Amino acid sequence: MSSRNQERGVAREGATETEVIAACESLVREYTRGSGGGWFGSGSLPTVRALDGVSLSVRRGEIVGIEGPSGSGKSTLLHLLAALDTPTAGELRVAGEDVRRLSERGRAKLRLEHVGLVFQRFHLLPALSARANVALPLVELGWSKRQRRERATSLLADVGLGERATHRPGQLSGGEQQRVAIARALATEPDLLIADEPTGELDTATGRQVLDLFEDLGEDHAIVLASHDQPTLAIADRVISLRDGRVQGADR
Amino acid sequence: MIGSRFRAVLGIAAAQLRHERGRTLLAIVAVALAVLATTILASVGYGVVETGQEKFDTSGRDLWVTGGPLKFSPGAVGGFENTLVDSHRVAADIEQREEIQTAVPMSFQTVYASTDGEEFQTVVGVGAPARGPSVNVINGSEFSTRDTHYANGTYDGPMSHEIVIDERTADQLGVEVGDSLYVGGTLSAARQNEFEVVGVSNTFSAFVGSATVTMHLSELQEVTGTTDSDRATFISIDVHDGADVGQVEREIQADYPSYDVRTNEEQLEATLREQAVLIASGISLVAFAVAAGVALTTNLQFSLVYQRRDRLAAIKAIGWRTRTLVAVTTVKALVVGILGAALGLVLTYPGVAVVNEVAAAIAGFEGLVQLSTEILVGGLVLGVVISFLSGLAASVLIARVSPLSYISR
Repeated sequence: MSSRNQERGVAREGATETEVIAACESLVREYTRGSGGGWFGSGSLPTVRALDGVSLSVRRGEIVGIEGPSGSGKSTLLHLLAALDTPTAGELRVAGEDVRRLSERGRAKLRLEHVGLVFQRFHLLPALSARANVALPLVELGWSKRQRRERATSLLADVGLGERATHRPGQLSGGEQQRVAIARALATEPDLLIADEPTGELDTATGRQVLDLFEDLGEDHAIVLASHDQPTLAIADRVISLRDGRVQGADR
Repeated sequence: MIGSRFRAVLGIAAAQLRHERGRTLLAIVAVALAVLATTILASVGYGVVETGQEKFDTSGRDLWVTGGPLKFSPGAVGGFENTLVDSHRVAADIEQREEIQTAVPMSFQTVYASTDGEEFQTVVGVGAPARGPSVNVINGSEFSTRDTHYANGTYDGPMSHEIVIDERTADQLGVEVGDSLYVGGTLSAARQNEFEVVGVSNTFSAFVGSATVTMHLSELQEVTGTTDSDRATFISIDVHDGADVGQVEREIQADYPSYDVRTNEEQLEATLREQAVLIASGISLVAFAVAAGVALTTNLQFSLVYQRRDRLAAIKAIGWRTRTLVAVTTVKALVVGILGAALGLVLTYPGVAVVNEVAAAIAGFEGLVQLSTEILVGGLVLGVVISFLSGLAASVLIARVSPLSYISR
């Protein structure tokens, strides 16, 4: 655990009633394998259990790492916590909302207002400037141009890209693009930040800068990040290890 | 709030169109080509109808009698078959009617023409009385006599050997008023029939769009060896002022049930009906152009959505609703449609000029392709519709992009 983690841990111990941002209980997610079988299909397709009884809670100010080999259920858990998907069984609450009860539109609204997503491959729009990319979620919220501009400029300054606000993604390095993506994830002041392999496309030094940024953000947000990379997981307050859709052993 | 979102959508769409200049340009060109093909083909159709109507209107005739359905025959001169037999007698009978001012048989026939009887060129021989108020003589004079050669079916009267040529024939053969021309249906017949050019008039060349030489019908029949059946293309009828053209038409039709009697408008319609295959081809070409425009722009939109599906999925994942994404795509499609249509319309003007040049060179008709406001407005609407449809198709694809499918890749 890093020194900054230790500091945060001390702070958290002093505040035992820290707000729970996301919580799941006995979470199950099953997928049907194959297509519908067409007109002559048997109708009973095999199912795969990607998550099997996972229980977890994430509090504000906490960074939770998720590790596990491919197929262990990391992405499935992230998708559920991000309200991109709904569980087959079990309880799932994000920002106080019961995800199972939300419509697709309701889940989109939940994501827009309460969840920030950071992708491994950034997924910025190449046609737009860094500032316009950061402001994208605010468009959907109906913010005015001036408000969007001010917020995006401020966030870019926070992630150290104040001077590069007008640059397009193609004019930025990988690390800079990921920082723009993080700024975009923070645009709506979400409670929960979810990052899937956030340093997967970056070299070690650049990855370190991004991880420092996450550590700084960990003060005010609940962060869940999935990775294979040990230095990345090292910034987490606790790491959950998944194997075959189940949590293995105790948190570390 | 809605206004700021709409402005943002416009800004994002504009930025993406600028960023993807190559694709944007391709899509605009696709729409422009579809619009251009449509406006030019529509202009051809419009021009043909307008020109035809104008020719019939300026002919000064009220009714036309033909020997059956008017047939287009590429092998026949002027595109018409001479299907009306015994034309002089029928015309004379019709002219006996009280309401009729004149009934004149006319014929079109390929003839050989030469200034020296050695080197011949083919021109359109018109058998018609090149005299009277309906004939506009530019140079020289009209025929000095009526058709004297036809003597009640015997063709024993004296030939006038007068001929009126049009300007193109004058240029083509290098002749002027007062010169001689050898004209006949065969080379030997032509060598034996010398005519004097008495005037220059484009009145009859306007009917066929080719170089013409006009002589009395009976003299044309004589030099082309068609006196036995006395064939003509049609009989044009001029009724007295105040006469009921419709009534006269019905009466003549009743008396000559084997012939077709038509007004100017009906004659034009009949002519166009005979060109059904040509018209259908034109309409098919327009349909193909539109379909190609839709296919090309839709394909571009599809490929764009397919290529960007991971980013679209990410945008959906961060909370954008499908309808906002669709709005961006629709705005892009509309911009492409408007720009493509505008380009197509701008190109229509030189396009029409080029086609007119070609038509004048090949068919002899000038100003055959004509633009109208309706065609231009239609082109604009078509361009926008083509692009809108492609945007709609892309929107369906966008709606089906699932954030889950791509963001982990």
